[in-house]
Amino acid sequence: MSGRRRSDPALLREAIRDTGVSRWAIVRAVLAGTMALGSAVGLSAVAAWLIAKAAQMPSPADVALAATIVRFFGVSRGLFRYLERLASHDAALRGVVTLRERAYDRLASSGARTVLGLRRGDIVARMGADLDAIGDAVVRAIVPLGVAATVSAISIAIVAALLPIAGIALAACLILAGVVPALLTARSARIAADAGSRAHVEVTAASLSAMDGATEHRVWGTGAEAAAALRTADRDAEQAHELAARPAAWAAGFQALFSGVALVALVALGVLAVRNGDLDGPGAAVVALLPLAAFEAVGAVPAAVMQYFRSAAAARRLAELADREAADPAPAVRKVPAASSLALDALSVAWPGMEPTRPVTAAVGPGHVLAVVGRSGVGKTTLLTTVAGALPPASGAVTVDGVPASPAHTGTTVAMTAEDAHVFGTTVLENLRVARGDVTEEQAWDALGVVGLDAWVRGLPAGLHTELGTGGRSVSGGERRRLLLARAGLAPAPVILIDEPAEHLDDAGADALRALVSRMRAEGRTVVLVTHDLTLLDLADAVVSLDD
Amino acid sequence: MKPLDPRLVRRIGPARRHILVTAGLGFVTALLILVQALVIARLLAPILSPVPLADDGLHWWGLIVPEGARTLATGLAILGAVVAARAGVAWLQERLAHRAGVQVISQLREMVVEHVATRGPRWSAGGRTAEVATLVTRGLDDLLPYFVRYLPQLALAVTVTPVMIVVVLGLDWLSAVIVVATLPLVPVFMVLVGLVTQERSAAHLAAIQRLGARTLDLIEGLPTLKALGRERGPAARVRELGDAQRRATMGSLRVAFLSGMVLELLTTLAVAIVAVTMGFRLIDGNIGIETALAVLVLAPEVYLPIRNVGTHFHASADGLAAADAAFSLLDEEDRARSRASLGPAPDARGRVLTVEALAVATPDGTRLAPGALTFTAAPGAITALRGPNGEGKSTALLALTGLLAPDAGTVAVGDVTVQRDDATAEESSWLAQVAWVPQRPDLGPEGRTLSLGQRQRRALARAFESGRPVVLLDEPTSHLDRASRAEVIAGMRALADAGATVVVATHEDEVLAAADAVVEVTATRLEVAS
Repeated sequence: MSGRRRSDPALLREAIRDTGVSRWAIVRAVLAGTMALGSAVGLSAVAAWLIAKAAQMPSPADVALAATIVRFFGVSRGLFRYLERLASHDAALRGVVTLRERAYDRLASSGARTVLGLRRGDIVARMGADLDAIGDAVVRAIVPLGVAATVSAISIAIVAALLPIAGIALAACLILAGVVPALLTARSARIAADAGSRAHVEVTAASLSAMDGATEHRVWGTGAEAAAALRTADRDAEQAHELAARPAAWAAGFQALFSGVALVALVALGVLAVRNGDLDGPGAAVVALLPLAAFEAVGAVPAAVMQYFRSAAAARRLAELADREAADPAPAVRKVPAASSLALDALSVAWPGMEPTRPVTAAVGPGHVLAVVGRSGVGKTTLLTTVAGALPPASGAVTVDGVPASPAHTGTTVAMTAEDAHVFGTTVLENLRVARGDVTEEQAWDALGVVGLDAWVRGLPAGLHTELGTGGRSVSGGERRRLLLARAGLAPAPVILIDEPAEHLDDAGADALRALVSRMRAEGRTVVLVTHDLTLLDLADAVVSLDD
Repeated sequence: MKPLDPRLVRRIGPARRHILVTAGLGFVTALLILVQALVIARLLAPILSPVPLADDGLHWWGLIVPEGARTLATGLAILGAVVAARAGVAWLQERLAHRAGVQVISQLREMVVEHVATRGPRWSAGGRTAEVATLVTRGLDDLLPYFVRYLPQLALAVTVTPVMIVVVLGLDWLSAVIVVATLPLVPVFMVLVGLVTQERSAAHLAAIQRLGARTLDLIEGLPTLKALGRERGPAARVRELGDAQRRATMGSLRVAFLSGMVLELLTTLAVAIVAVTMGFRLIDGNIGIETALAVLVLAPEVYLPIRNVGTHFHASADGLAAADAAFSLLDEEDRARSRASLGPAPDARGRVLTVEALAVATPDGTRLAPGALTFTAAPGAITALRGPNGEGKSTALLALTGLLAPDAGTVAVGDVTVQRDDATAEESSWLAQVAWVPQRPDLGPEGRTLSLGQRQRRALARAFESGRPVVLLDEPTSHLDRASRAEVIAGMRALADAGATVVVATHEDEVLAAADAVVEVTATRLEVAS
């Protein structure tokens, strides 16, 4: 855990810097957006001038240019809006790709303990939706805020050029219409993030309890209480939302108010300026009618502020994912020995905050097999994670060739196949190459043969080159297990840890495991096997039990 | 997709009320926009007209804003009042929309939860719980932007737009013709663009989703790669896949944004054409300045709500999809057989519980678990059900409660049948006699802060103290330490001694040793005709 607690905005700035989105890409999008909304302002201004000028019945040639400009703005708004959307989305998408690569890199090189402790749902949510939310900061927050600033400046410049005092009035109203709703929206977002998410947790708990515990509620006649608990949680959530909605409503009201005040002020100033002879009619029409178009850009400010907060929260979650502990030191280029011995010395293991397992002692050398048994949830997987060097022991020690197991061993000297190891959405061959990049087709067939999966692969449409569904979903549980075993057999590490789940181990699975362990034994590897199937214990040279 | 789900209006009170209120506010807004435009025309016309204004350029709309508004004081006073009112409406609209949105979400959530709670345990086992939990806790929240952003614009589109067209028609029929002629072009062109792009974007979308899934698949496997020391390679692949996805996405956006461009192009161009046409007609003296100003200010207002509806289309789509998911769930027929009543259950105290050839099919229909369970459980004794996981111990207990209908077999108290595949004893008379503690018991929201072991102990205490004559315990000693296990066994024994019929599903030797009778539970495979 890093000691410094950085603020969400700082983390968002950092994340956006990490996207590598160039200033120029953002400037380009803002320029296109300025041209789009500027066209609306221009259309309004030139059309006002045209009508006012035409009222003085000049020759048609005098307004021909204005008529052309009005038509131009009529077309340019749509075109530039299209270009702006393309430019901002392109910048954001590029940024997200870069950020995803960097975030992956950072996560991959953070501690083995962090990585092996990740929950799949977390990884997918952070690297998927949260990264997209950071990209959205460009499209929905930065570019609209930039456009609001430039378009407002253009409107102010036009009015000020005609009537300076009107320019000042418009500037004041535009600034108020941008800043006040922005502050109110920020306040609303903070309340929603605070009280709102607390209330949301309660609602979630009450909903799940009412649904998951429905059968119990019927047996005990507590259904009405569960419904009432949800009702109460919902009421609290409504109240929390009410608190957040109040500033948001004021933001909407103030925005309408300030744009209206600008209209009243500029109509009044325009009319008075004509009466005083400071301004001609067409100029006054421009001054008076411009506010109708000028406030569209600042209208986007509250949504942009909301997006900014959403993106900042996403940036914080992303940072927390990789920030739980310092990164492993750059892996020293270690020579991986051909064979290794393993010793557990009164080893007790636990994830932080969990009950440590009972201490176990065992030693196992090359060509030998250590079996670990115990009832579910007792900590067998935690033991493997510790032996792999990813997690420090709660007490006692585990040594590899006499050296305490450390993250430097993880994946190099000690390779582990977790019970929920991932089958990638790629070909059978590439899934085996996860163990070692240079597996030949021949070696792949050999490994599949050991676990009795060669016939199945031969029956696939493209054999070794058949794509498996994402997450291995098109593969049955038993085939998946044996594929993972084949992969474990190809891992070059001298120490192999296999976490065998209680389910899915049919006869074919047990045979495959048996065959694989014999092969590894013959290769002189050191094997640690977690198993629920006591008939497999005859494979083992030593057995430790975590049950007390 | 319909812009408004009729089921929301019909079945959700706050939604119905809010839609009416929003429509009302839409008309008020239309009126305010109208008055604002007319006052601006009144105020500016005198300073722009080269000759004193003779007749009323606003025609009969002048009734709304009389000619007196041409004076600065009156005009500005009206304009100020309109501005204040518009700010108030904006405030009120936002306030009410938020309130209605959360109320609708709460109500839908409570309806879905209640519906699911009455579906029975078999429905929950159908694997839909995760989907429903997501809908209830997150999905329905998408209705908030629908109510706050989309619905008000929709209301304005059906109020302001027609009102403005009528007003423009009354002011200047030629401008009205331009406006009315362009308006149908908007949907026509959008449909045309949609037709051209549909095929393309469907293929694109599939490719994009495939690439996205592959990227996340690769990232999801990171712990596996780390455990094999192969975590550093895929960063480049993540990049490649990401770039491919970006190119595919941009390709589809280039097409998707076209409809937005057409919308903006048509609406803005129409306003420009109205302005230019009026300019030349002013020179010819065919239209008065006051009329022209009013039309100039009103023309963009015709299109603004339509443009905004387009902008918030996505908010609408997500919200409506969530509402649709909720309503489809609520309207789903209860496929659990409705069972006939066997009348009130007899008093179970002192009577033997007889289970005869009880069988329940697994949700996937491949096995019967339990297969054909037959046993008797005597009052005053502990009867243990033993067997490997998945053979149907928990299911047998559920069938004993009567909340799950067996596919075959009977449960009887004494010589009176209380459960059969097609009939059940009155729920109140039977359940009041049954104490049931499942695995991972639920103790309401507060229970979630307790550890599994604590929850187990509390749930057992409730069952032990209930005084109900039939006690069904599912793995009561899991998650407990040795001392607590002994306490639970002692508690079971005390219940039996007091005359209760105790049935316990277990695979723990200590519990089996304490039982007076042990029954093996086995599943049987169903021959599936394929």
